[in-house]
Amino acid sequence: MSAPNPASTGLFINGQRETGQDVRIGNVTAAISVANIVKSSLGPVGLDKMLVDDIGDVLITNDGATILKSLEVEHPAARVLVDLANLQDQEVGDGTTSVVIIASELLRRGNDLVKNGIHPTTIISGYRSALKAAVAYIKKEMVVNVSELNDDHLIQAAKTSMSSKIIGKESDFFAKLAVDAVKSVKMNATAADVAGYEAMGQSSASNDSKARFKYPLSAIHILKAHGKSSLESHLIDGGFAINAMRAAQGMPTFVESPSAGEPVKIAMLDMNLQRHRMGMGVQVIVKDPAEIENIKKREMDITKERIRRIIDAGARVVLTTKGVDDLCMKYFVEAGIICARRCNREDLKRLAKATGGRVVTTMADMEGNEAFDAECLGSCDSVREVRIGDGEMLYVYGCKGHGASTIVLRGANEYMLDEMDRALHDSLCVVKRMLESNTLVPGGGAAEAALSVYLDDYAHTIESREQLVIQEYADALLVIPKTLAVNAAKDASELVAKLRSVHAKGQHSSDEADAELKFMGLDLIEGTIRNNLDAGVVEPAISKIKSLRFATEAAITILRIDDRITLNDSKGLAR
Amino acid sequence: MLKMLLDPMGGIVITNDGNCILREVDVSHPTAKSMIELSRAQDEEVGDGTTSVIILAGEMLINAEPFVRNNVHPTVIVRGYNYALQEALSICEKLALVVDVNDSERMKSLVQSCIGTKFSSRWNDIMIDMALKAVLTVAREIPTPSSLPPVNDAYSQKMEVDIKRYAKVEKIPGGEISDCAVLSGVMFNKDVTHSKMRRRIENPRILLLDTPLEYKKGESQTNVEITDEEDWNTLLKMEEEYVENMCMEIIAFKPDIVITEKGVSDLAQHYFAKANITAFRRLRKTDNNRVARATGATIVSRTDEIREEDIGTGCGLFEMRKIGEEYFAFFEECRDPKACTIVLRGGSKDVLNEIERNLTDAMQVVRNVVFDPRLLPGGGATEMAVSVGLRKAGLKVEGIQQGPFLAVGEAMEVIPRTLAQNCGVSVIRTVTQLRAKHAAAYEEIENSSADGAFPKCNWGIDGTSGQLVDMEQFGVWEPFSVKIQTIKTAVESACMILRIDDIVSGSKKKGY
Repeated sequence: MSAPNPASTGLFINGQRETGQDVRIGNVTAAISVANIVKSSLGPVGLDKMLVDDIGDVLITNDGATILKSLEVEHPAARVLVDLANLQDQEVGDGTTSVVIIASELLRRGNDLVKNGIHPTTIISGYRSALKAAVAYIKKEMVVNVSELNDDHLIQAAKTSMSSKIIGKESDFFAKLAVDAVKSVKMNATAADVAGYEAMGQSSASNDSKARFKYPLSAIHILKAHGKSSLESHLIDGGFAINAMRAAQGMPTFVESPSAGEPVKIAMLDMNLQRHRMGMGVQVIVKDPAEIENIKKREMDITKERIRRIIDAGARVVLTTKGVDDLCMKYFVEAGIICARRCNREDLKRLAKATGGRVVTTMADMEGNEAFDAECLGSCDSVREVRIGDGEMLYVYGCKGHGASTIVLRGANEYMLDEMDRALHDSLCVVKRMLESNTLVPGGGAAEAALSVYLDDYAHTIESREQLVIQEYADALLVIPKTLAVNAAKDASELVAKLRSVHAKGQHSSDEADAELKFMGLDLIEGTIRNNLDAGVVEPAISKIKSLRFATEAAITILRIDDRITLNDSKGLAR
Repeated sequence: MLKMLLDPMGGIVITNDGNCILREVDVSHPTAKSMIELSRAQDEEVGDGTTSVIILAGEMLINAEPFVRNNVHPTVIVRGYNYALQEALSICEKLALVVDVNDSERMKSLVQSCIGTKFSSRWNDIMIDMALKAVLTVAREIPTPSSLPPVNDAYSQKMEVDIKRYAKVEKIPGGEISDCAVLSGVMFNKDVTHSKMRRRIENPRILLLDTPLEYKKGESQTNVEITDEEDWNTLLKMEEEYVENMCMEIIAFKPDIVITEKGVSDLAQHYFAKANITAFRRLRKTDNNRVARATGATIVSRTDEIREEDIGTGCGLFEMRKIGEEYFAFFEECRDPKACTIVLRGGSKDVLNEIERNLTDAMQVVRNVVFDPRLLPGGGATEMAVSVGLRKAGLKVEGIQQGPFLAVGEAMEVIPRTLAQNCGVSVIRTVTQLRAKHAAAYEEIENSSADGAFPKCNWGIDGTSGQLVDMEQFGVWEPFSVKIQTIKTAVESACMILRIDDIVSGSKKKGY
């Protein structure tokens, strides 16, 4: 960053070196500046960012991870925070903004402590013990076990997660959409999955005798089509939509089962239905000129036979990732089959899972003959081409395989759709976490405030220097309610003070009636304090715990640094 | 008024179509870009109202500005806007009137109001008739699945109207606009392959192919090593035989016209000419599809697989006509054509382009009504009714949201205001009068104390004279779906833009 420190360049380093307080201040400043970018997007009254890249493409988003991902962050410490947001996005899917804000606040306070002469290692161990105490407290006191989760809780959690997003205003509608979508992909968890949950410490909630389920979000397919209003988005329950159209106009626009109980079969191919051609470099040398004609004929017949086999296997819908020759269309048209070409391979794989079929890559069997196994066909109730906006989509209804669902999003324009997609993804993750862990904590700053009060008390029981650190940690957590209040243009100091006093009362009193006080959080519309559990502002406990863990770890990583060496580019060699 | 746009290449576009104007304009501000996207979405979804959606969205933002300046939190504004949107939609629903699609008088007046502003309004009657005829030609019932799972109503349409594919607009410079017509069949710009072929056939049998009628090498790389002189000859002969075979297979079905998407070799032409068959080559796939639908033929891909059913006999008259310097093949008098060609004639290319855009808008309007036969009064009447309705409802809204709620109502007035402005009458007087009319209708209802009754006030502005007229009598109607879509898109996008509080530029490229 600055000129090399003459005192420290005893070594012949081709580069610059910064040590001690300089580097720490540099790191912390960078981290705070990253957090400041996302700060204003936190909470139900947070606003969006518009990102313009160097070509002029626009991205409008409220999602912390997305904002940071699209920024070009140079500073290494700031990069840690960006990665942190990404990690949270992958692990939990929601709370990306808050994790960055907490981490930066921890850093800021940590830095101040160092300035006051506390050694970084003390701070680190203090943070660690504070984290441990905090997590234990959440698990013991804050968590509400919901043994039988009902839809209300799920919808509330989904609503909380999307309240800050662009679809927040229609959260009733979208929360229901998200919950229905996640529920529709429910499947039995394998033993390995269960072991995985236990390892993650989530087993506390459910009794082991009960069968566990998992909800693979990858089975939920989100399609975007601009036009109409966002309220016209819909979920195709047990259905699948694929962004492809009939290959020829002569094909029927819908296919349904010929008789009741008999499903419509779908063939999913990952191969060319074009005229067969030899691989590169294969030359066929014929003596007899008449053979040429035969080769040509054979080329056409190979594909024709393949199609015949597929049709004979009972397929009524044929989807392929590759091309289909025009001359093959006729066979499909005549058989009344819907055929779509150039489908997305990922989509087909999902469809295969959804309909209980397999994506077929080759028709060759072990004997070298060609055959089409009817087992590979997926089944569904009906398939239909639907006109959406200016394009067409194939809707597959009533898939017979494992659950799969498609959410078709509609909205004013592409930017809005992208943002809706991200917001919905967050909510889906939240619902999934809720269903898997069965626990929830109140949101709206309630958990943070409770932790802060608790940690403050806890700090008094510590006799070492870590006491100071834990106190700072407690204060740092208050940044969430504070930011929420600031974003809502409310009096942050007053609100947070009130919140703390309520929580302190709740924790110190032995009165049963005051036990409920620990669920008190902010009501950002009215600017008052309310019981957020009753108000339906809830988050999955695992998300809260994880974001605390990640934030603390990130802060520790950065605080540990006390030396930074930037090597100069060795000319021409590196990069 | 029209806009004339010059592009960097020197080409010009003269248009009145909102989407078209904005598409050509190069803007760099990101928010402006997202506004342009709106007009595109509107165009693709309903095809009309592209100008209104932009005006409305802009006005929504303008009206939000004072609130932002007075430190009302954007989310509060957004919430107010959304309440207002719900209210506005319910008002529209109450105002809506169901029309009979087959009532051609009503439909005419409907289309008229749509293209009233457009360049081609001088030839209104022709345009309207053309749009109606074209759409009703291509409309067909979709065979609905018997056991359809319950889907969103908007997507379970019973009718299919595919204007994009089956109503082709052919623009031929020259002639007069009054020469424009919708053919009861199709037409394409191709000449027969051989001058000896017949140029007029009544009740032709038509065969459609998508295979080349010439010798084609195989896909695999084949090399022939010829050692013998004889072999060379056999090879050549085989090629000829191949073509001959194909031709014979075709001729066996006695078609009068053969059309293929690929090439026709000279040899094949010769056989066809001898068999008195008219052949066309290198037809576009889309054109071929249209011919197939108009004549009832199936496109065949291998000559050895032709069947009698594949031959189209639906066409009444085939004729080659020379228009200007070019030859056109006409397939007319089709029995029950499900595809059609619209021939546009006009002074210059630019005029034709604009007429085409107008016609597309008109066709989209007809299509929307076929899908959803509900209408709303045009000429700013709906907007004024919504505006007045929102003002009434707004007074009951609690909290700070009331302001933004009312602002939506005010923003809706921009449509009648712009209408008045564009026809040059006193804007304030006209709009106030109109507002008074609508408000009076509300009063009346309240006084008559009929519960749940809704004032159906259809007064709006006559776009040419600027007078206030009752749209019910004046006959200016707009499709429900277009209006609704316009309002929804405008409000939603305004909300999105309002929620932005930070623009970060120079973020990194995607996928890197």
